[in-house]
Amino acid sequence: MTPILADSAAPRSRTQRQSILKQIMGMPAGAIFLVFMTLQIVCIAGALLYPNEFRYLSPQNLTILMKAVPVLGCLALGAGVLMIAGEFDLSIGSVYTFTAVLMASLVGAGVSAFVAAPLGVLAGVMIGLLNGQITIRFGLPSFIVTLGGLLFWRGAVLLYNGAVQVRFDPEPVFTSLFSGTLLGINAAFIWIVLFVVGFHFLLHRHRFGNHVFATGGNRGAAEAIGINTNRVKLVAFAIAGGMAAVAGILATARVGSVQPGQGAGLELQAIAACVIGGLSLRGGRGSIIGIFLGVLLIHTITDVLLLLRAPGFYLDMFIATLIVLAAIFNHLIERRGVA
Amino acid sequence: MSNLLELHNISKSFGALTALRNLSFHIGEGEVVGLLGDNGAGKSTTVNLISGIHKPTDGYLSVDGKKTLFTCRSDSADAGIETIYQHTALVDSLSITRNIFMGRELTDRFGFLRQAEMREIAMEVLQNAVHISGIDSPDTLVGNLSGGQKQAVAIARAVYFKKRVLLLDEPTSALSVRETEALLNQVLKLKAENVSSVLVTHNIYHAYQVCDRFVIMSHGTKVFDVAKADTTINQLTDYVVLT
Ligand SMILES: Nc1ncnc2c1ncn2[C@@H]1O[C@H](COP(=O)(O)OP(=O)(O)O)[C@@H](O)[C@H]1O
Ligand SMILES: [Mg+2]
Repeated sequence: MTPILADSAAPRSRTQRQSILKQIMGMPAGAIFLVFMTLQIVCIAGALLYPNEFRYLSPQNLTILMKAVPVLGCLALGAGVLMIAGEFDLSIGSVYTFTAVLMASLVGAGVSAFVAAPLGVLAGVMIGLLNGQITIRFGLPSFIVTLGGLLFWRGAVLLYNGAVQVRFDPEPVFTSLFSGTLLGINAAFIWIVLFVVGFHFLLHRHRFGNHVFATGGNRGAAEAIGINTNRVKLVAFAIAGGMAAVAGILATARVGSVQPGQGAGLELQAIAACVIGGLSLRGGRGSIIGIFLGVLLIHTITDVLLLLRAPGFYLDMFIATLIVLAAIFNHLIERRGVA
Repeated sequence: MSNLLELHNISKSFGALTALRNLSFHIGEGEVVGLLGDNGAGKSTTVNLISGIHKPTDGYLSVDGKKTLFTCRSDSADAGIETIYQHTALVDSLSITRNIFMGRELTDRFGFLRQAEMREIAMEVLQNAVHISGIDSPDTLVGNLSGGQKQAVAIARAVYFKKRVLLLDEPTSALSVRETEALLNQVLKLKAENVSSVLVTHNIYHAYQVCDRFVIMSHGTKVFDVAKADTTINQLTDYVVLT
């Protein structure tokens, strides 16, 4: 009796496991979730087996990870919403630096950080709206418009401030609010988790999010049904600019100063995180959880390679491979979805 | 009694090209009108005009006897007109439910979606009002549906939002025989619920199967307007081919 039971039980449990796997893969961020979990399991196992050589689980390393994630996270959330709406923003790295310089120099001139920080975010939102207006009014590819923005705002930083670093000396309350710790968890990390939750509800549970997906997924259909797609895109541009400024606040509060060159390349990392997280370059597809997992994945891999003392170029090559693989995977999913 | 929708001496020019010339016809309550004619006759332009995408160069529309000007798509939607497009206006990357409620989402007062409620209604409409084979869940992505199933979703949208007139521009061009049959039945079912339809098609047999009246266009004007009882397939064919 027993062998028969064992025989019949084994295949069933295997099909069950397969269907769970299939279910996870079928979810919006399922594939990236599996990759992420696998990597975590490998890393944790490695850290438990070789606690001295591979300090993945050491408190210092976890703190480094928690501090690193929020900046790219904010940038990627903004860039991601815009990508789902069908547009790009390459200027967010420069806007991130520009608004941080603006905020820091306002504080240097005696303005309270609690006033300067919202002004920085406002500046980011305005720049985003400007990008959007130019893109929409003249019917240009946002890729080109915001490439212009990337160079323009990078130049504006140097014009306004020169190539020197700006000190940031806010009220202590401000510093602890954005880079202190709460129950051992880094404040910036708490902020990014809150943003992820907020963005998730905005994009997946709110009318606005539905219109973002419709605008990016099939603009003609969205307009035919009466959605003002230009307005949706404008708001998405504003969100991308505003989140770039928020990233600037988190980074500046952590470091206590702004380097004029600090944002270079971050826009590409943000877009990379989005692609790895399952967003389509053509818009209309993706999820907030996916974006966040994309950011976590990039930073976990960076961290692991640092812990293994691998030279920096390995990191670039690794991320590059990951992006292309993710893009191929997304493309296959899309094709299956449209067929 | 006034007609649900009337076109009065409508002309439409695109620059030098006159697509519609002095076109008048009406659509009655619960009436299915077949809009026939060769390629370039102006059928799609007429549909776009009724749905508010184009504005007439001359002439006007009236709804329930009242002169109206549609300046955009949502004006006609407010008047109860739903268009089922040649290439259906759906978003492939979203679920059936989200497509049915696209632009008219049920939300709480902060704009958050009432998902469970929308899903339930979508299920109900798909099962009862629109019988489509092979759709098992309203969570299915529209991109995974066949052409006929997509059109059924578009029709489900019209059914739920209690539209008064359905404009169907060559809806069967991408459909299989069975899907075409289902679509035509759908039109008849809606008619039983007093929903009017304008069916644009190349296929006179399809039109003859479901329409109460036929409007035949040629070179931007109406050349024939006849009730089904007063005509035959042969006569309709002659008008479409010879004018
Ligand atoms: N947006 C437009 N701009 C310019 N010409 C148009 C436009 N839409 C339609 N036309 C022209 O109007 C005429 C009628 O077209 P259409 O209404 O599409 O015909 P049908 O649907 O009966 O085949 C054609 O000559 C077409 O080229
Ligand atoms: Mg046509």
